[in-house]
Amino acid sequence: MNKTKSFSRYAVVCSLLVILFSACTKPEKTLPIFGERNIEGSDTIYHTIAPYSFVDQDSSVITNATFKDKIYVADFFFTSCRTICPIMKTQMLRVYEAKLSDPEVLLLSHSIDPEYDTVGLLHDFAGRLGVKSEKWHFVTGNKEDIYKIAQTSYFATAMEDKSEPDGFIHSGAFLLIDKNQRIRGKYDGTKDDDVNRLLNDIERLKKEYEAK
Amino acid sequence: MKQNKHRFINLNSKLIALLLFILFSNCSRNSEATRFTSEIKFRQYYVQGQLLYEQHCSNCHQKDGSGLGLLYPPLNHSDYMDQNFEKVICMMKYGIKGELVINGKSYNKEMPGVLSLSDLEVTEIATYIYNTWSHQKDSIDISGITRILNQCSQQ
Ligand code: HEC
Repeated sequence: MNKTKSFSRYAVVCSLLVILFSACTKPEKTLPIFGERNIEGSDTIYHTIAPYSFVDQDSSVITNATFKDKIYVADFFFTSCRTICPIMKTQMLRVYEAKLSDPEVLLLSHSIDPEYDTVGLLHDFAGRLGVKSEKWHFVTGNKEDIYKIAQTSYFATAMEDKSEPDGFIHSGAFLLIDKNQRIRGKYDGTKDDDVNRLLNDIERLKKEYEAK
Repeated sequence: MKQNKHRFINLNSKLIALLLFILFSNCSRNSEATRFTSEIKFRQYYVQGQLLYEQHCSNCHQKDGSGLGLLYPPLNHSDYMDQNFEKVICMMKYGIKGELVINGKSYNKEMPGVLSLSDLEVTEIATYIYNTWSHQKDSIDISGITRILNQCSQQ
């Protein structure tokens, strides 16, 4: 008698715990918004990507407007880099292939060695990678502008350092930018599972816009 | 003194005769032993070579040797590798640029060399890439690699 009672109590506690945990995980959390935020009146102003203007592998001018109503993934690299960039490009190619038929998603790779990486070189590079320009923009431009946007808009490290094997220090980060030009995720572009997380987060971000 | 030397030579030749006798009587077993040690050496080179490949080469050519688009050529199947052993040895250390045609496709990006590689390390990487995927070149001797490397550095 006593035994069955304590057993049923045990069962109740257990099922309560199960309910609690499933309730906890059920509503998928929205992705975080990176950077500082300011409250202005009743509005929250989030950190967004500052205005920029670069040139891509087809000599097209690329600005914030290129990514209007688009989700995009950004990174920083240079064509002659032998350390992490080839791995990053292999991983970005995975993102490219996964999202090739998704018009909402674009890719943007900035050269941090823009003097060497001319439009012609980037054109050759993208061609050899076999990717379409309208999906994946490789941009070059004013060096100061690229470094500044890397650091202050994308929070990515990019700088020249002659003591490094490639002559530059830069992060292998991929940054997920939403349709409002806000950073919603940061991933290690050299790691398979982090890039899987990115692919998953892109879908989560799309759902966020569908719900609106 | 002179006598001493004489005795020494005498002893020496006796010793040599004995050694030769042992050697010949052991001949068959001996070649097996050499085969065994060279097999061990091959294994060692191969394992080290794989580590070095993953450290210095797989960024571009990928772990599975498949390369990346027309940027980085494949090593898993490469008629170029089959036909240009010496050039491949040189490019690991000194790099290469200009157009290369691999399996009928044109590649033209600079491959940076790794100057810090020792002759042994180049031998190890060569052992790995020439005995993996579609390649079966068998053991590679370090003295041959040193000779090739000496020639390319003079170019
Ligand atoms: C930064 C990228 C990069 C790295 C790192 C690199 N390679 Fe290459 N490799 C290339 C490129 C690009 C070419 C084509 C060169 C050309 O077009 O002149 C090439 C060509 C080759 C070729 C001849 C073509 C073929 O496919 O058979 C071999 C063999 C080769 N590399 C082996 C290696 C080995 C071994 C290492 C490591 C010691 C290495 N590579 C490191 C980029 C790289």
